[in-house]
Amino acid sequence: MFSAVTPLPGRTLLGPPSAEPPTFARTGSDFADRSQPFRLGERSFSRQYAHLYATRLLCMRPRLEQQARLRWGDGVLLRKLCQLQVGERCCVVGTLFKAMRLQPSILQEINEEHNLVPQPSLAKYVDPSDELVLEDELQRIKLTGSIEASRLVTGAVLAVYGHEQEDGKFLVEEHCFAHLPPQLPWQGPSTDRFVLLASGLGLGSGSGESLLGTQLLVDAVTGQLGAEGQQSCAALISRVLLAGNLLSQSTQSRDSLHKAKYLTKKTQAASVEAVKMLDEILLQLCSSVPVDVMPGEFDPTNYTLPQQPLHRCMLPLSSAYPTLQLVTNPYQADMDGVRFLGTSGQNISDIFKYSSMDDYLEILEWTLLAGHISPTAPDTLGCYPFYNSDPFILTDCPHVYFCGNAPKFQSKLLTGEDGQRVLLVAVPAFSATQTACLVNLRDLSCQPISFSVFGAEDDSDMEVGQ
Amino acid sequence: MEDELYLENIDEFVTDQNRIVTYKWLSYTLGVHVNQAKQMLYDYVERKRKENSGAQLHVTYLVAGNLIQNGHTCHKVAVVREDKLEAMKSKLATVTSVHVYSIQKALLKDSGPLYNTDYDIIKANLHNCSKFSAIRCADAVPRTPAEVAQARTLARSSSQTPSDTSAVSTPPLNGHGPTAAKQSSQPPKGIMGMFAAKAASKAQDANKEPKAKEAPSVSAASSKPSAKGNIMNNFFGKAAMNKLKVNSVPGQPKEEKEAVKTSVPATEPESSPNSIVEKPGRKTEPAKIQQKDKKSKMKRMDKSDNEEEREPENQKKKRKRIKQLESDSSDEEDVPASPTLEEEKAPSPPPLVPALKAELEPASTEASAGGKKRKRKRVLKSKMFVDEEEGCMVTEKVYESESCTDSEDDFAKTKPPAVPKQPALPVKKEPKEERKNQKKGAATASRANKQISIMGFCQKK
Repeated sequence: MFSAVTPLPGRTLLGPPSAEPPTFARTGSDFADRSQPFRLGERSFSRQYAHLYATRLLCMRPRLEQQARLRWGDGVLLRKLCQLQVGERCCVVGTLFKAMRLQPSILQEINEEHNLVPQPSLAKYVDPSDELVLEDELQRIKLTGSIEASRLVTGAVLAVYGHEQEDGKFLVEEHCFAHLPPQLPWQGPSTDRFVLLASGLGLGSGSGESLLGTQLLVDAVTGQLGAEGQQSCAALISRVLLAGNLLSQSTQSRDSLHKAKYLTKKTQAASVEAVKMLDEILLQLCSSVPVDVMPGEFDPTNYTLPQQPLHRCMLPLSSAYPTLQLVTNPYQADMDGVRFLGTSGQNISDIFKYSSMDDYLEILEWTLLAGHISPTAPDTLGCYPFYNSDPFILTDCPHVYFCGNAPKFQSKLLTGEDGQRVLLVAVPAFSATQTACLVNLRDLSCQPISFSVFGAEDDSDMEVGQ
Repeated sequence: MEDELYLENIDEFVTDQNRIVTYKWLSYTLGVHVNQAKQMLYDYVERKRKENSGAQLHVTYLVAGNLIQNGHTCHKVAVVREDKLEAMKSKLATVTSVHVYSIQKALLKDSGPLYNTDYDIIKANLHNCSKFSAIRCADAVPRTPAEVAQARTLARSSSQTPSDTSAVSTPPLNGHGPTAAKQSSQPPKGIMGMFAAKAASKAQDANKEPKAKEAPSVSAASSKPSAKGNIMNNFFGKAAMNKLKVNSVPGQPKEEKEAVKTSVPATEPESSPNSIVEKPGRKTEPAKIQQKDKKSKMKRMDKSDNEEEREPENQKKKRKRIKQLESDSSDEEDVPASPTLEEEKAPSPPPLVPALKAELEPASTEASAGGKKRKRKRVLKSKMFVDEEEGCMVTEKVYESESCTDSEDDFAKTKPPAVPKQPALPVKKEPKEERKNQKKGAATASRANKQISIMGFCQKK
């Protein structure tokens, strides 16, 4: 089935029926859920976000100082902003803040004096006039110099090396991030074992084009599709991970709020039908393979990160199966000894909006280097006001780091400075691309698998799935 | 001969029934392994084409293989029409599988019908969707409800222990604490425990007191297909028993009336929704009924004292509907202080109706205005009780959901807007009520209890 695995030469299915065809047993999966930091119990929103930033800086400072010493020598002066002296070359660790002109501000919107029309949402909010400010526990200072404001985003913690100028700005000569944390020892399998990553199923969209594709995906994984060789390879898929946006954006329409009650009396939310469809699809999958379901931007769960798992009451048929795991977004788990960490893509798309980086894989890599899954939370991305810990800080380097709902499939094997090997995967949205990813746990390789059906148009459409 | 059988089947499906026969559909219909179904389809196509080369048969194939694209290999799975099969195969670097996907008589313009066919057959076979698949998963065994409940309690207890050890500060600070969840889970257990205890005690009480009148009402209630039918019966039995105790004082016609009434509300209860809502409601029912019983007994004793006082009072109040209603509502709020809220949650007329009737009985012999006072209470408490003479009972819940009874409910709830109605209505009401007074006293009580409303007039006429 997969390029690395040669399919068993089985009987051809283009022939008369033969004796009892073989059935393959699904390969077992050794699984441990590590997403406990992302699960919230009682939630209290009566706190400000200052605590989150403070704890972020506090946790990341030691690592940054260590990196600074590695880069600029052991004797580098580590100063806090309040200890700065003009002209003295030193290194300062702090949180970045980017002042953006185009950043949507609710205060501006509701300010009636200005009489502003609410800003239309842009694809990117970067502007050449954006400025960077470094904040630490007590003070803040503007940054100039060889630091590229357009690439960086608010909330990243970094170390800058330079000196303070007379005008009160900090002239940056170099800067560095926390880089990859130490990696867990490798305990992956020795034989081929696959994990299927898919995201953006987009059910309930009202257009049936991607439905057959979704059905083909389910059939391929459950071993109904394909010849015997393919089916035996499909049996090596030990787990399926659905990374968010199981429902389509069109289920989010809130027309019923604006329409008159008599018009909406008998209507039900579009997400009800979509969740029923999801339940049936998950039932088919769960009866054959363990599935982890992560919520995404358009799924019926809370908005702020970390998103809590979908409630099992919405999936009555499939939650009877122990193979269904409803998990948080972001999600971290050990699958067959391989550490997976990833999100449904909200963090990456938010950074995409506020920085000049265009490539999802590049942004994914940058977050890994910055040591934080989603630095823009809570500034532009909703986040729970944590108090004593910031669970988005990367403490262990994962083996597979993914994000869902990317515009196209991309993957890269990254090697860190200490020999860490990380497979970065940008999982494409299935509803748009009909493509999912297969990660081979043995050698950390990733292959896209795409499905296509014939449409009313000609052959050229078959290329769409790629 | 078995070989021939499936061929005939496929032939029938494709040509006679004009179906789209996908391999999955065939597999479920004939109960065979998917691979066998694929082979069967291929065999059929081959034979049919050999027999009759002009056969109108369109076939779609599934092709899967590796494709070199942009320098990396991509695995591709595609459903193609027969005429594009070779083209697709040539595009793929390596072909891992080719098999028949579906057979149909007509040429398919797009793949929508394929999806629909599969969707229907899967929907019909959801419980064993992996039965004919080529892969079996040992872990995928659905849990029984007992196991599910067990897993839930285990999850609750296991999530408590790590939170206790890992929680640095109090749970709400970091949101990691399910200890609060633990506490919240205990109250429901408490409520359920209370409910179970009450049900048990009720069962004993009800069993001890067999009464003829109760029998029909109890049986009527028990005929309702409900999981809590038994408990409902117990409540009903207890309430009916209480009511009958009180009834012994007023008199025969009222008892008859009540029997009729209780059988009527028996038809109502199970139509009301939500067992969960009913559960906390039922827990409070016993408390309320007991309270009501005490009240009714007290009222019975007081009745003789108050009767003379009440009559002139009530006649005065006849004219002033607003005050009377307001005083009724305030009375009602005083008397059933705690259960009011729970009543609103749980629609269960039978225990309420007999209990209320217990109160009303002593009042029925009084003037209609005084009876109105009592009846007002009933209206506000009971829910979804439709009786020609009574009208609909009023609670907030009913008010919201049953717009048809708005007039009566509105009157009860929105007294100021109803003010203009009232002066006109009492005049007409009184002669009616006086007429009714000559009839059964209970009938009077019920008439006056009905909310003064436009709808009431229509029913009368």
